[in-house]
Amino acid sequence: MREIRSWAPFAAVLLAATLAACGGGDDGDQTPRVAYSKMVSFGDSLSDVGSYRVGAIAQLGGGEYSINGSAGVNWTELLAASAHVAAPCAAQTGLQSTIPSIPAVAVVDHAGCYGYGQGGSRVTNPIGVANAALPAPQLGQLTDPVKNQILRHLATSGGTFAADDLVTVLAGGNDVFMNLAAIQQGLTPTDAVTAMATAGGELGAYVKSMIVANGAKHVVVVNLPDVSQTPFAYALDLQTQGLINTMVVQFNTQLAAGVAGTPEVLLVDAYTQGRDQNARPASYALTNVTTPACDLTKTALPTSLVCTASTLVATDVTGYEFADTVHPTPFGYSLLARFVAENMIKNGWL
Amino acid sequence: MKAITMNRRMETLMKLALITGTAVAAVLVGGTAHAQSAGNWSVSLGANNISPKVKSGDLSAPSLPGTKIDVKDATAAFVTFTYMLTDHVAVQTFLGGPYKHDIVGAGAIEGVGKIGEVRQVSPTVVAQYRFLEAQSPLRPYAGLGVTYAYFFKEQGSGALTAITNPGGTPTRVNADNAWGLSPQLGAVYAFNDRWFADLSVIKTFIKNTTHLSSGQSIDAKLDPLSVGLTVGYRF
Repeated sequence: MREIRSWAPFAAVLLAATLAACGGGDDGDQTPRVAYSKMVSFGDSLSDVGSYRVGAIAQLGGGEYSINGSAGVNWTELLAASAHVAAPCAAQTGLQSTIPSIPAVAVVDHAGCYGYGQGGSRVTNPIGVANAALPAPQLGQLTDPVKNQILRHLATSGGTFAADDLVTVLAGGNDVFMNLAAIQQGLTPTDAVTAMATAGGELGAYVKSMIVANGAKHVVVVNLPDVSQTPFAYALDLQTQGLINTMVVQFNTQLAAGVAGTPEVLLVDAYTQGRDQNARPASYALTNVTTPACDLTKTALPTSLVCTASTLVATDVTGYEFADTVHPTPFGYSLLARFVAENMIKNGWL
Repeated sequence: MKAITMNRRMETLMKLALITGTAVAAVLVGGTAHAQSAGNWSVSLGANNISPKVKSGDLSAPSLPGTKIDVKDATAAFVTFTYMLTDHVAVQTFLGGPYKHDIVGAGAIEGVGKIGEVRQVSPTVVAQYRFLEAQSPLRPYAGLGVTYAYFFKEQGSGALTAITNPGGTPTRVNADNAWGLSPQLGAVYAFNDRWFADLSVIKTFIKNTTHLSSGQSIDAKLDPLSVGLTVGYRF
């Protein structure tokens, strides 16, 4: 029993084990834990998937508030992919431009499209950033407010949300910009802060009384990122930056209070997350969190809405957080999408 | 969670089978002489539970700071071959598996649950010193060995893709193979001259790097504790 032959079974088993071990890995189960039928998104430019991708804007290769390219880039599109639902398309398109060189384009509703977010939209007030009702010239953004976006969806969906809808809500930024502008016209900073608190409370109320109350079971509400930590704010004095931060915090506080105790709502704290990205950029592979990746002197309009790869400040803008003075780069959106996804996974929603 | 429950159930079943088998073997063959002396070969079969005690590093950028992993335990059948160099010194080889471990989120992503899985085989060779006389029915032993952990069939998940490459191609996982040092404690109980049971506890000190197709990577000390019970036959 001591002969070399004794090694034979040993070697055979070793060989078998080695062979069994061959073969590469695979993707694993990519199916989300909840089977969603579609994404319905409400909000502003951060969720806009092409409301103004018409006429001159489309010809310039623009349409989204980021670095425009062949693929959809904003967080709602990335999240839709993670949730295995169809990429959202703009529920309404058009442009009511009062800029002579940019022709207006008729407003059209698109059945079967549920991306309601529009650049410039506020929570309740229909006159948002670059709305045609403001003194000309204006780009003529439609700025249908979130309240009305929800009403339009209900009007075409039998007054209800489907239980397997993935609903996203992100708004408030344009209320900051419009209230700041109103301060120039005589509004007191205190009243501006109050107006933001009111808007936050209203958004929370719409989520509860118009979305959840009408049947939605999975509503992702992303609070307002800190507008005081954007290139837009960095161009202002410190006192105004502080005011902007207070406006954002008040908005978020009332929004949180408004949706508290609602299991159908997942509130994602993008405010805190964004501040962490600003404080620890390297952890997020961010190399520039202060200046835009788009060269706004090269773009036809001073906004990322018409920014493409040919209008960047450098050939390589990897690691830039901002495309223009307020909107994220595709990478910035990706970081937001990851954070929202992580919250949803923890909540058993993805 | 379902998979973990299944694993635990299988583990319990296997342990039960082993204990029963051991008892039956003991009754059937009875026992008189118990030789574990120089030149003996023996082979034994059983089940082994490998429970990693993970100390995870952070997933590299871009990620939430403090994104860590944990690796769940796994049980599989295994076989050992033992050769007695002297009455006290043995060389034992472990071959088993494949062990299928769930990888779950930890640290900043604690609560996301399973984000992937990995299979591994970890052949181990140990040199043992067996206490007491060769004829003693119960012989405790201490050993020191080396382990080669070979990882394969790594799988990602929708969750992993969503937090590493949303909207992109599914994130794949590739765990580096690694060598580890494996101290061992155990005991052999001989039912008779031929049949015995062997209980072995091995701590393996091993660390590796796992790479994601998203370009990220994470280092982790795996340091598993392996508890194996076998029933063997001496030639």
